[in-house]
Amino acid sequence: MLLDFRPVLVVNGFVLLILAAAMIVPLGVDWAVGGGESAAFLLAIAVTGFAGATFILAARSGGGRSRLHSREAFFATVTSWVLGGIFASLPLMFGSLHLHIVDALFESVSGLTTTGATVITGLDGAPAAQLLWRALLNWLGGIGIILTAVAVLPLLRIGGMQLFRLDSSEVGEATIPRLSQQGRGLLIVYPAFTAVLAVAFAISGMNALESVCHAMSALSTGGFSTSDQSLGHFGDGAHWVAVVGMIAGAITFSLYLEPLRRGPTTIFADSQVRRFLILIATFSLLLALWNWGSRGMAVGPALRLSIFNTVSILTTTGFHSGDYDAWGGFAQVAFFVMALIGGCTGSAAGGIKVFRFEVLLASASIHLKRLLHPHGMFAIELNKRRITDPVVRSVMSFVMLYLTSVSLLALALAVTGLDATTSLSGAAAALGNVGPGLGHLIGPAGSYHAVPVAAKWILIAGMILGRLELATVIVLFTPTFWRS
Amino acid sequence: MTSIRPTLFVTGTVLSILAVAMLIPAIIDVMHGHSDWRVFAGAALVTLFVGLALVASNRHAPRRSVGTRQIFLLTATAWIAASLAAALPFAFAGLHMSAADAVFEAVSGTTATGGTVLRELDTLPPGILMWRALLQWLGGIGFLAMAVVVLPTLNIGGMQIFRLESAGGGDRAMPRTARLVASLTGLYAGLTALLTLLLWIAGMHRFPALLHAMSTISCGGFSTDDGSIGAWHRPAVEWVILLGMLMGGAPFVVYLQLVQRRWRTALANNQLPWYFGIFLISTVVIALWLGYYLDLKPLPALRHAAFAVASIMTGTGYASYDYTLWGGLPVTMLFFLAFVGGCAGSTAGGIKVFRVRILFATMRIQLIRLLHPHAVLESVGDPVAESVLGYLFVYALAFGVVAMGLGALGLDFFPAISTAASALANLGPGLAASVGPMTGFADLAEPAKWLLAAAMLFGRLEMFVLLVLFTPSFWRS
Repeated sequence: MLLDFRPVLVVNGFVLLILAAAMIVPLGVDWAVGGGESAAFLLAIAVTGFAGATFILAARSGGGRSRLHSREAFFATVTSWVLGGIFASLPLMFGSLHLHIVDALFESVSGLTTTGATVITGLDGAPAAQLLWRALLNWLGGIGIILTAVAVLPLLRIGGMQLFRLDSSEVGEATIPRLSQQGRGLLIVYPAFTAVLAVAFAISGMNALESVCHAMSALSTGGFSTSDQSLGHFGDGAHWVAVVGMIAGAITFSLYLEPLRRGPTTIFADSQVRRFLILIATFSLLLALWNWGSRGMAVGPALRLSIFNTVSILTTTGFHSGDYDAWGGFAQVAFFVMALIGGCTGSAAGGIKVFRFEVLLASASIHLKRLLHPHGMFAIELNKRRITDPVVRSVMSFVMLYLTSVSLLALALAVTGLDATTSLSGAAAALGNVGPGLGHLIGPAGSYHAVPVAAKWILIAGMILGRLELATVIVLFTPTFWRS
Repeated sequence: MTSIRPTLFVTGTVLSILAVAMLIPAIIDVMHGHSDWRVFAGAALVTLFVGLALVASNRHAPRRSVGTRQIFLLTATAWIAASLAAALPFAFAGLHMSAADAVFEAVSGTTATGGTVLRELDTLPPGILMWRALLQWLGGIGFLAMAVVVLPTLNIGGMQIFRLESAGGGDRAMPRTARLVASLTGLYAGLTALLTLLLWIAGMHRFPALLHAMSTISCGGFSTDDGSIGAWHRPAVEWVILLGMLMGGAPFVVYLQLVQRRWRTALANNQLPWYFGIFLISTVVIALWLGYYLDLKPLPALRHAAFAVASIMTGTGYASYDYTLWGGLPVTMLFFLAFVGGCAGSTAGGIKVFRVRILFATMRIQLIRLLHPHAVLESVGDPVAESVLGYLFVYALAFGVVAMGLGALGLDFFPAISTAASALANLGPGLAASVGPMTGFADLAEPAKWLLAAAMLFGRLEMFVLLVLFTPSFWRS
């Protein structure tokens, strides 16, 4: 069967129209403060809106019923993220930042995938409209991936995500009503949390623009800041608000809807959330011990900085409070490992995800038992649900696919002339949608500005690949996908 | 609780063999008039006494009742006991090594890893040099026997696909297994002799030629000079060692089949195409890089690249040229090759080529399943795939833990992760200048040496053999 392009066009057109509508916000702000970015945003709105409208009209012109099977779903998901990235880069290119096409694309993809790696230096003096647009990209990307994770990925059965299917049926009409009900819930929770965070940031001492921008990029676990020093530019209060915001963004969002029905403790009854919080506590404590015992920091700052940066990397946000790359060997390896782990499924966070580690650990312990009792019967249960063998296999191969992708991406980066530390950490940071890597070039104290152009393209590919859980993208490159 | 008699019996046997082996460096020291012979003789006596005592007191162990648990326990115990006994000469010889240093060097020997805490190797007494090479040689044949006989029956990480036809009990299983081990040992000794001869022809003296042959065929990597193989400045020596490393990392069963003139079966071995494929591709890429960025001429570039790739893949750890100085791509590539490793049923370490092959097959099938959920696909058995993926996950986990540990004990990021990968793969040196093949581990903190020794044993015993001992159900009756 030939691919049906009409639903693909509709989805893409819809995404572009949303983007165009979102561009009105920085445009309005620019008019209010008189920043001189209005022409750039107007032009970008015109181009994006026109393209979106054309797609939808083109799709409607053909008659007959259109269908959205898994192949169309794969194709629409990938193309809409890529096209979204391209059109979102227009204001950055047209505006006073005058970003080169690669840089603009890097910045917009980094924004939409909630990575937060930046090529811009001198953020503190950048126009308000551009800062707001970057934060808005993080924010839109965050809700975008949450909805994708809830609606699309389970249907595609990627890396054990079939467990999170809302309904037991295959792709079909029955799933649509409940889906949109949950979607509506998320569309209320997400902005509400952002508003609360913005108020909290304002109370901690940020101005209006800074608090809105950071609220958006914290909840989306994006990590774009309004300062080159990231959160290091702000006080302790802002750090704690950011910690809360980032954790909130990295927890399975559909859980936030549960308390309305079943009481407020259900979030912590979820085993993934519990283990995620335990991971944060463990790594924070280890790093605090390291900073206090081996590097002579006082207890208070050691705890605060360790918690803040641990949360920032485990939630794959990428805020920083100073150069943690200078914390030495243990911290560097720990941050590298954390960037691979990531947050919870169905959240804005990236990485391999805690749920998959739960499955793998349970499966490894069963494997050990089976070595002694080859004929014993063992079962994995998580959250009182039986994890079947196909799910375990799908999780296992996802994790191995992830690690293989990190390796290949690192090799590709090394070809462009980057050293081993930069290549490895850059690959992990892009694929996990974290942002900063390790080393003086792309570490928290550096920026991606000086990275070779070829490496920027590789990182752009890595960010999209990681955001869409690899298989969604890779499957498009298999011959079976295109065979009718 | 099951009987530990078989464990004690096997450990005693291994210790007795080791004690006899200690007499070889003792004799060499006597011939050179070096006073270390007393240390070797003393250590041999102590080890022999303990070994024989264990054998004698447990020789009536019922052969029939050796179960899975006992095989796990005896494999782990024998390996650890042998490593500790092997540390005795290091600890008491004239080198004044600390306990950590002695155990590190001994474990690095028995696991055929090749990382060393000793410096100025060319000034070491001949007995010690012989003991280091001998440990790797014995460790190599020990691992080979374990990989062919023990691991497949224990279902470790997909090794069950290498189970011998004769396995599964029966009266004929024991003699056939014994015959196989005997012919492997003969083959191993023969290859060592061949390599010694070739190295001698290539221009090494007899003694270093023998030592290097022993630690090449075992994929060990102890050298007699701080500059490793590069110190000889002889391309012919490098080519011979390269050949030896590649032979050590290939499945030894293939050599048996070649000797028996079963050409077809030997060539049909499904590990070889991947093994040589990965080797050739990596060599060409790195050679191009060396020619382009380091201005090496084509032939030296190819030689150094092939040498480094073979050395890292097979987990030998020799260097013809300090590869830590080659820059981004070669170093990153060698880092990943350290994980890949050699073939199963060889003396090489690492994840092993057959697991990489199964990993790729499984990932391919999963991708196809995304599009065609109900397709019936040809694949290796699901239990094997699961067992391989589980192994890889534990390997990755162990890597993360060891790397963080090394970071906490004072190593920087890349030295820490490359040394962790290297220890688990029984490779030896790390891939950064501070822990590279020309530097060694002498400067590491004592706890880091203990951690690395543990990691080497963990990697050599394919992780699960040790890990299973830490599960509560192992000790429950």
